[in-house]
Amino acid sequence: MAQKKNAVIVGGGTSKFGVRQATILDMVQEAAVACAEDIPGLKPADIDGLIIATTMAGRHSSALNTAPLVVHRLGLSPTSICIRLDTLCAGSNSAVIVAKGLVESGIAEVILVTGAEKVYLPQRWETNYTQLAVNDHDWDSAMGLGVPPPFFAMIARMHMKKYGTTKEQMAHVSVTNYNYGTDSPKGHFGGRTLTMKEALEARIIAEPFGLYDCCPLSDGASAIIIASEERAKAMTDRPLVYLRGTGQHATHSMSAGWPGDTLAEWPHLKVAGETAYKNAGLTPKDIDVAQTHDCFTISEIIELEELGFCKKGEGGPFVASGAIGIGGAIPTNTDGGLLVYGHPFGASGARQAIEICKQLQGRALHQVKDAAFGLTHNLSGTCAQHTVVVYGREPVS
Amino acid sequence: MSDYETANIVGTPHLEGTYVSEMDMWPFEAQELNRIYPFYDNLRAGRFTTTKCRDCGHIAFPPQVICPKCWSENLEWVDLPKKAKVVAITETQAGAPLGFPPPLIMAWLTFGEGTPLKHLLGRLVNCKEGEVKEGDEVQFVSFEVPAHPMEIKRDVKECKRVYYAFEPVKK
Repeated sequence: MAQKKNAVIVGGGTSKFGVRQATILDMVQEAAVACAEDIPGLKPADIDGLIIATTMAGRHSSALNTAPLVVHRLGLSPTSICIRLDTLCAGSNSAVIVAKGLVESGIAEVILVTGAEKVYLPQRWETNYTQLAVNDHDWDSAMGLGVPPPFFAMIARMHMKKYGTTKEQMAHVSVTNYNYGTDSPKGHFGGRTLTMKEALEARIIAEPFGLYDCCPLSDGASAIIIASEERAKAMTDRPLVYLRGTGQHATHSMSAGWPGDTLAEWPHLKVAGETAYKNAGLTPKDIDVAQTHDCFTISEIIELEELGFCKKGEGGPFVASGAIGIGGAIPTNTDGGLLVYGHPFGASGARQAIEICKQLQGRALHQVKDAAFGLTHNLSGTCAQHTVVVYGREPVS
Repeated sequence: MSDYETANIVGTPHLEGTYVSEMDMWPFEAQELNRIYPFYDNLRAGRFTTTKCRDCGHIAFPPQVICPKCWSENLEWVDLPKKAKVVAITETQAGAPLGFPPPLIMAWLTFGEGTPLKHLLGRLVNCKEGEVKEGDEVQFVSFEVPAHPMEIKRDVKECKRVYYAFEPVKK
């Protein structure tokens, strides 16, 4: 067997995220151009593989077999892989795992991983119907579980009751992420700011969540290049960012299969994280910067716990201590995360990968000093599956 | 085309109030459309049931065609507990899926030690907002939901449907 190669992320870019007057394929093209701006000289002919991650293409855009549509619009002619991938909110993060395996095995050399969603079509209210189909339609959805806030509100209440987490501590997450994300011009809420007072006095979405505890549902696309170390060196002079380890763990599709003692424990994330750390040859202490799935403020708090950045139950005081800010123990969601940059489901994982790539290359907008190891995480469904990728400036030796 | 012009309904006008299946919010319950139809027949009889594996004894929920533990097809129908305790509750006024009139009340339910169903997200009905509190007991209830047309060979038949939720136990 041929010797295993190393896979790296070369760079990437996103379209403008938000409520967009554009089709899903329009936005994929915008993301591809942003990716090429980040990797000067990148041409369609350099790319031998394509993975497009999307969930809503088909329901909100008539684009079910999405990969050939992207091939045509981007002028690609893939020879190694050409697929659509759907794991809802973890779509393009899952695609990174697939791309890593294909590059390391020598099957592919240069893969474009792109994620995209167009949700607000044809009418805005219809997204609430579609949400019934992305959960377990015949069971939890038929109970009325559609948009996520009510479910995550129950998670927050249980975490508050069991561990004493407060609304103020949750507000620290949204304020920190706004401090980061206000400088992201392509973010859904780029340019906006948030104070603690505004966060705590916002209108209630689902008790205990105010408006700023919840991420928006966004239209948008992102694109990154995953390549072999050899090809990456030819494409860029920047430091290489290696894909060191991955983990993906799913336990159920509907509530009866929830693996925790209560909703405040996410043991399936712990397993995904430990798997990724083991494959990366690292521990949580080694990670310098993280992009975790902050669909709600409570999510980021629980993720910091289950990923081992603080003790279980101490996520609230941890975020309030400034640990997730620049200079803190684990700067998190340094581009604004889902809360501010926005959340076009399939596009979010690649958006996180772009930020970690920039951090480890020393060129992020909110740079973590000497960042050597980074982590991305997505949850998907009703917190049914967890996807973790660990990056580093050196490959696993 | 006068109906088209005057129809005062939300959504795609020419569907005249009915919706394509991908936007339907209830399961395809008819015997012709799925293999776990006894679950729905049992709902009509007021029973809350699921499948148990005759080979390994595992009780799955939702009911299945095979046992998820040992992949045996040798299954039987068993009854589930009909009373549960509310651990956490959430009441949605705005943003509930269409067809679920607000307040949409959902709860995280536990079924007690030794029961095959450990916990479940359940909708609460027959109660007002604020009426049910954490720690309260609720009970299973079944009810009719909108019927759905289905194509069986060359005929279109109406699929009558039921579903279930939980309601307060009257003290």
